[in-house]
Amino acid sequence: MPALNGFLWLLLCWLAGELIVHFTGMPISSGGIGMLLLCAALALRGRVPASIAAAAQPLIALLAMLIMPGATGVFFMIDQLAGQWTAILTGLIAGTLLSVITTLWLLQRLMQDDHAE
Amino acid sequence: MLSEALIQRLTATPLFAVALTLAAYLIAMAILKRLGRPPWLPAILLATLTLTGALVLTGIDYTTYQDGARWLTVLLGPATVALGMPLYQQIPRIRQLWRPLAICLPVSASLAVVYALGIAWLMGASGEVITSLAAKSVTAPIAMGITRQLGGNVSLLLGALLVTGVAAIAFVSLVARLMNITDERLIGFALGVNGHALGTVRAFEIGPTAGAFASLGMSLTGIFTALLLPLAWRLVG
Repeated sequence: MPALNGFLWLLLCWLAGELIVHFTGMPISSGGIGMLLLCAALALRGRVPASIAAAAQPLIALLAMLIMPGATGVFFMIDQLAGQWTAILTGLIAGTLLSVITTLWLLQRLMQDDHAE
Repeated sequence: MLSEALIQRLTATPLFAVALTLAAYLIAMAILKRLGRPPWLPAILLATLTLTGALVLTGIDYTTYQDGARWLTVLLGPATVALGMPLYQQIPRIRQLWRPLAICLPVSASLAVVYALGIAWLMGASGEVITSLAAKSVTAPIAMGITRQLGGNVSLLLGALLVTGVAAIAFVSLVARLMNITDERLIGFALGVNGHALGTVRAFEIGPTAGAFASLGMSLTGIFTALLLPLAWRLVG
């Protein structure tokens, strides 16, 4: 089963991330390091082996389902956060509006400058 | 509502929680297909509501459910690593535009955090809430790792991700229209940086170029934030 082989590689990248976090004490998420390790390993090989694709594709497709159990928790803490909901929602919505404007404006300027050279 | 004895029997193994999760997810997917996948209703939002409804109806405690569902959620670790594959596939596109992207990404990703936390802080949100919102623009598996590290509440973070994703989809199309921006690369990148996976799904509906730049923006924001936010947190806190 190639997918099993690929899954083992994903687990090994994740465990390597855990080791790096443990020994360096860097406050970084081990999944993030594992992702960079996988990307670097693929760049070294120059292609995506079929076994990795067979394991990675279904996992990526199922991300929404894996996140669902945790996301459901927010509906069970509505009372716990009483009085803070206005601050939370305003921060998220107004903050997102400002950062969308920043990204579009900045990248548009930078791409014009890049072309002008 | 199920009786106490029956609930205890069913939740003695994780299988009930796993079955409940799969059922809620598949039902939500079937409903979405029938509705024609409207952009304002992300799959995860409907699936979450379905699961919440099932828990309330059966009377199962959320923490009991969460313990059983850990058999599924543990896969988030390898799933995060798996995101390295699409990232590798986008290396040629990163090279093409590396200079503008290299400047824009750190500024946008940092300001996304500063804006939201600044507003929430000014409006009197507590320290725990602010910690939980910090990773709100990052794709969920990475954001969960960051939030655990900072000591925030993961459920609140995931709720924040939903709100941020839906808001980013609406604001990107609005602001792009007001600024007369039609370049798919720009719109896609803005969707990925600000709206994580939800924005990326929307970008693929606009077109393949927008989709590729959105997944690029999403991956880079995830990496940048995962590397720097915990460090910044240590310095500030």
